[in-house]
Amino acid sequence: MVTPSVVLIGVFGLLPVAWAVWLSFQHNDLLTPGQWAGFDNYRQLVHDPVFRDSVRRTVVYTVLFVPITLVLSLLAAAALNRRVRGISIYRLAVFVPVVTSTVATGVIFTWLLDPDYGIVNSLLAKAGLPTFGFFSSPDSALYSIVIMTVWGWVGFGALIYLAALQGIPQDLIEAAQMDGCSRRGAFWRIEVPLLRPVSAFLLVWLTINALQLFDEVYVTTKGGPLHATTVVVYYLYQQAFQYFHAGYAAAIAVVLFVVIAVITLVQLRLTRDASEAGGAP
Amino acid sequence: MSPHAGPGRLCASPWRRAATLAVAGVLAAGVLAACGGGGGNNSSGGSTSIVVSHGYTDVEAKALQDAANTWNQQNPDKKVTLQFNGGNDSALQKTLAGFTAGNFPDVAYEYGSSAAQLARQPKLVDLTDKVKDPSVDWNDFFLSGREAAMVDGKVVGVPALIDNLSLVYNKKMFADAGVAPPTPDWTWADFRAAAKKLTDPSTRTYGWAYVNDGSEDTVWRYLAMLWQAGGELLNADNTAPAFDSAAGKAALQQLYDMGVVDKSVYLDNGNGNYLNLFNSGKIAMLWTGPWDLSSINSDISYGVTYLPGYNGNHQTISGPDLYMLFDHSTAQSNAAFDFVTWLTSAKEHIKFAIATGDLPLRTSETKLPEYQTFLKKFPAEKVFVANLNNVKHVRPNIPQYAEVSSAIGTMVQSVLLGKSSPDDALSQASSQVTSALAGS
Repeated sequence: MVTPSVVLIGVFGLLPVAWAVWLSFQHNDLLTPGQWAGFDNYRQLVHDPVFRDSVRRTVVYTVLFVPITLVLSLLAAAALNRRVRGISIYRLAVFVPVVTSTVATGVIFTWLLDPDYGIVNSLLAKAGLPTFGFFSSPDSALYSIVIMTVWGWVGFGALIYLAALQGIPQDLIEAAQMDGCSRRGAFWRIEVPLLRPVSAFLLVWLTINALQLFDEVYVTTKGGPLHATTVVVYYLYQQAFQYFHAGYAAAIAVVLFVVIAVITLVQLRLTRDASEAGGAP
Repeated sequence: MSPHAGPGRLCASPWRRAATLAVAGVLAAGVLAACGGGGGNNSSGGSTSIVVSHGYTDVEAKALQDAANTWNQQNPDKKVTLQFNGGNDSALQKTLAGFTAGNFPDVAYEYGSSAAQLARQPKLVDLTDKVKDPSVDWNDFFLSGREAAMVDGKVVGVPALIDNLSLVYNKKMFADAGVAPPTPDWTWADFRAAAKKLTDPSTRTYGWAYVNDGSEDTVWRYLAMLWQAGGELLNADNTAPAFDSAAGKAALQQLYDMGVVDKSVYLDNGNGNYLNLFNSGKIAMLWTGPWDLSSINSDISYGVTYLPGYNGNHQTISGPDLYMLFDHSTAQSNAAFDFVTWLTSAKEHIKFAIATGDLPLRTSETKLPEYQTFLKKFPAEKVFVANLNNVKHVRPNIPQYAEVSSAIGTMVQSVLLGKSSPDDALSQASSQVTSALAGS
């Protein structure tokens, strides 16, 4: 009795994907019937400097976002993995950003990080530190998006890590401590290696999401200022729904799909090999 | 979910997944074939029913629903159903999705900037001959609305909203700073000097605000200045850029002088904070349209006047919206045309204007006795209505406009952020526009 779900996945998942691939070989403005274009869109893509820049920005974003989120999630989970009074309130506080809508997050952060009236700059100025343009400056807009999205994702990572930490048998830690291992040493040398499968999952999951960054850009900077936050999916959106180059946008989507598939396979292979070599549980 | 389930699922056998996908694809194709062939032919037995999609909320939505109810009472054989499209900002995307799915409205509310793109849609109803009917009184619509509805000599829609940019200022801030309030014959130099005097870095107070997100919001204020200085965006047949001129330079230089030299301009990054800051007395002047007036707090005493001018030229810009008609059947498009012309007739639209504060669409509306009720309710609108006479140019109605706009937006943005000189920005934008026009 899997037929209904298979049909649903087919209609809402696979057909659009297949259609996008079909579209990527056409010149199509979504208004008039498309014309067959062969590999034109892909050839154009290779020579498009704006696309190259958007790839570069996506890479910069991913390289910053993924490790920072992983490390902060792990530290947050470790801090939350203890029995103290009111721990559920702390856990809730860490998790709230995950369930906050992106639009609300965007509005809050544009106010917090407003160059003139934002609380962050006014605190920096009071402390005698330099202030920033944040979303309003081409030099800092992408980093502001990193800050905002890390804030939004740490709760998710921490939740996954916390669940895994609680699944680690306490006798392992106790045994290590009897052998003279410190609490901190046990965390880094026993618990963190045991978390490897979870770290692998988060690495893949966060990377996929980072490469597909869109909502946060759409609700804050709209790709600006001066294209400083035009990442690949935002550029795709512009091409498809502002300029109506649907075939070209589909080609971008196909390239992104292939890149994500390859990166995911490589990451899974690397983390699996490592965990086998390291003798995971 | 157990944390270990994640990687496990992702590692599922690729063969099994491929087989599942193949089965799903075949099934899905079958489902689509069974569901296809739906249609919008809703006329039977002499009675017709049409769908009008719009993005209005609050007061406007209520006024439109009231109008539709009145129509349905008077015309039981041409029933109108209103359909909310989720917001006018995405009306174009929604309509396009409807065409792809084969399920589109008979009438859609669209921004004028979408007209050229939708004009290519084969289902669009060409209104060129229909509006010649004397009962429509086409030339009674304000010029900017009529021109926004024209694409390649074809009438592609009926004006649904007409607006323009005027100068809105906070009277108290001018009085406090000892600056004489703006007059209708202000020059660019007067404007710049006043903005500078009203700016105070210590309290983060600015003379003017500019929406600097690089969108059409950034572009159209620049276009008003370009036209005032005697420039044009594109050449007469819309095949080449024309803004890389002395006029284009003068307009950019004015923005540079105010934004970068004087630092008297608050650069809004597109989230609309400028209006909150105007309400908090942090920004003294705005170039904005009637739609913002209802968001100005009642404790702010504001004035409205024409935009400052260049050599006595006080042109402004209008961004009209349209009702566009799409063809399901002749009966339905006739009913749709009857409804839209009724809705935008002087007698009917003045009711909508009184309810919402929208400007009149037609010259004859301003001669109706109800127009005095409108002015009494919205005294500030008087200047906006008078300022319609200062709309002398329209944006080019071409499918590549979105790309042209994007190039101009980036140009203005880079100058206001102090990242390029007006000359460099002009020549770069000019070459981008050239390639956008060539690549259609």
